[in-house]
Amino acid sequence: METSLIVAFVDFGRNVIGLVTRPYETCRRIVEKANPLELTYVGLVLALYFALASLVKVASFRPFLLTRQFFVLAGAAGVTYCLAVAIFWGVGRLVGASGKLKGLTVLWGYSLLPTVIWFFVTSILYVLLPPPRTTSVQGIIFSVLFLVFSITLFLWKTTIAYLTLRFGLRLGLGKILVVLAGALPILGLYSAQMYRLGIFRVPFL
Amino acid sequence: MVNSTYQKFVKRWEEVMDLPPQTVGPLTPYYKALVRRLKVMPWPALVLCSLILVIGLYLLIGSAITLLVSILQRGF
Repeated sequence: METSLIVAFVDFGRNVIGLVTRPYETCRRIVEKANPLELTYVGLVLALYFALASLVKVASFRPFLLTRQFFVLAGAAGVTYCLAVAIFWGVGRLVGASGKLKGLTVLWGYSLLPTVIWFFVTSILYVLLPPPRTTSVQGIIFSVLFLVFSITLFLWKTTIAYLTLRFGLRLGLGKILVVLAGALPILGLYSAQMYRLGIFRVPFL
Repeated sequence: MVNSTYQKFVKRWEEVMDLPPQTVGPLTPYYKALVRRLKVMPWPALVLCSLILVIGLYLLIGSAITLLVSILQRGF
């Protein structure tokens, strides 16, 4: 078991670097190997973020509130992950997807990395440079840089999500668009509910 | 050498048979040109695309982008 975890850790590291430098090849490799143990390390990265976000959101050292906030965030992210995989799998099967659930599950887990990086950086910036931004020159420069950073990560996320559906479900572009047309409204409604509950204002997808 | 080339060929053949290359009718050459930039080290293309979008947004709504960023900063 320990050996498997170490191997999974090395693969996780290689895959993270691969997703940055060679996303296409790496996504294909992740689906081929589809080792669920690698999700352990994705989970650890997410847990680190939830711990930080709990500190920032609660803004006081009260163990009960911090623990509750941590479990609310982790639970909501877990449910969102399972829901997204289930919806993509279900809609994908309806349009004739022939991939394996394991590949889709593992690769969608990796696709959470751009999301968690954005949330992580935003949380730190919230502490260092709390909003609102002003319309001064410095405020506009910061805003432009923040938006460039956000859109770049969003495009990276979109690329990985597309490759997840391409290799995880083994679909062509047309059917991927059909899957997205079926899945996004449901995920949109779910995200609106998360917003209403005050858990995630930006969808943690 | 021959064996290595053959193995590469077999691997590529298996990939193509497993999941045929994507085509989008008459737009296929443009699709291929776009995808080529995203397959290896996509960051220059992604950052350039983001920069163009943000400059476009700034020209469209001006300093109101600070409002958008203020909302996003509370979004975590």
